[in-house]
Amino acid sequence: MTAESPPPLGPDSVLAIRREGGLAHFPGLAKPRRIRCAEYSEGQRRWLARMLAEAAAHDTSEALSGADRRVFRLDIDEEHDATRVSTVWTLILAEEQAPSALVSLWQGGQVEEDDDTGEHID
Amino acid sequence: MTISRLRTPRQGFMPPFVLERIIERGGARLQACARQTLNADHGFRAGRAPAPVADEALPAGSPTPGEPARYVYSAEQRQVLPGTLMREEGQGATNDPAVDEAYRWLGATYRFYWEVFERHSIDRQGMPLLGTVHYGQDYENAFWNGTQMVFGDGDGELFNRFTAALDVVAHELAHGVTERDAGLIYAGQSGALNESLSDVFGSLTKQYHLGHSAAEADWLIGAELLTERVQGRALRSMAAPGTAYDDPVLGQDPQPGHMTDYVETESDNGGVHINSGIPNRAFHLTATTLGGYAWKAPGRIWYDTLQDRRLTRDIDFVGFATLTVDNADQRFGSRSREVEAVREAWHGVGVLS
Repeated sequence: MTAESPPPLGPDSVLAIRREGGLAHFPGLAKPRRIRCAEYSEGQRRWLARMLAEAAAHDTSEALSGADRRVFRLDIDEEHDATRVSTVWTLILAEEQAPSALVSLWQGGQVEEDDDTGEHID
Repeated sequence: MTISRLRTPRQGFMPPFVLERIIERGGARLQACARQTLNADHGFRAGRAPAPVADEALPAGSPTPGEPARYVYSAEQRQVLPGTLMREEGQGATNDPAVDEAYRWLGATYRFYWEVFERHSIDRQGMPLLGTVHYGQDYENAFWNGTQMVFGDGDGELFNRFTAALDVVAHELAHGVTERDAGLIYAGQSGALNESLSDVFGSLTKQYHLGHSAAEADWLIGAELLTERVQGRALRSMAAPGTAYDDPVLGQDPQPGHMTDYVETESDNGGVHINSGIPNRAFHLTATTLGGYAWKAPGRIWYDTLQDRRLTRDIDFVGFATLTVDNADQRFGSRSREVEAVREAWHGVGVLS
């Protein structure tokens, strides 16, 4: 079973990417990478949307076995105004399932421009 | 929302109503973990019999109690398991430090469990000990995947290779033991106990290997893993949780050592590597109060508790603490100094009043 499809990304959307878990919890390494969609173009938001759709396409119905394993947690928050924010979508993905584009985004924060070719970005 | 962060229970039975209660009342993360368990759990573990290993392609185990069957693989910097077999039981050194460390420390951990508890490997039946090294590129982690142990090389900046620390290798193997014996749910307090048990038996393995008494032991986890660039001593301190590191990149060690500082969080599966500081310190207090070798009375009490049929998969700190006191009573007598030390230790960390 795959995850729910991510909602459309609008100018008020904020994508938060965290890598969690592992042998120890390091607060400094668990800080989220926040992508404020208002700061990006339509094409870049399409690229983000495709990356999220690809991440959500993995079969995540199987419980992750073992211990100390790392996961990526993705949240889409909608900022209604300065004081109201709601999380509208969450995905938790085993790190080995994470698309390379997601890992690069988490590491470097670089958002690509979507060329609208419909090809996979991974 | 989809969450895939809870390990598959290999043993143990958690009544569906307990999981449903978590789903009703827990935070979103724990709710999803419980939902996953509910979906995956087929209600097995009658009689706590060892569950079969899922991977039918496992190599041969050891038919001889007292002798391990080790297999060390290399993932060759890829994320594939188990990878290429580099060294198996009885073969000589490879001159690959990670391979040879994994082989050596798996042997030391097997020896600890056998000589102290007469346990013949993870499943008591000679299960092969599988370790994969050189996992991923600059991979700064080690984990147990339900079948084997996996070790990264570290990034060289913050972390050395993860085979460098005996207690970390033993920590991962101990997850296999806990999984077999208790199937503690890897979330919230039961998850923190799961983590603490790996730290306890990981540290005891190191102390046994070095011949250290409780007073001589450093009570650190992963002291060899942090590079000299990091402002810290180790991943965790069982003696003084929250003091292992304070570094501009890693942040400050978040572990509490007392229930007054218990961390409510949805991160880290409900703080399994955070709140484990509380039971870790309870074990340290027990061991240092009693003195001598910590794997003797304290280790035996904690091991007896792990075997206790009353240890439920969703047990909390109070339930676990109560069982340790009861197991100390059964083994050493109700008026023994061991019972008193265990009770005082849990009182000292605010779990028992």
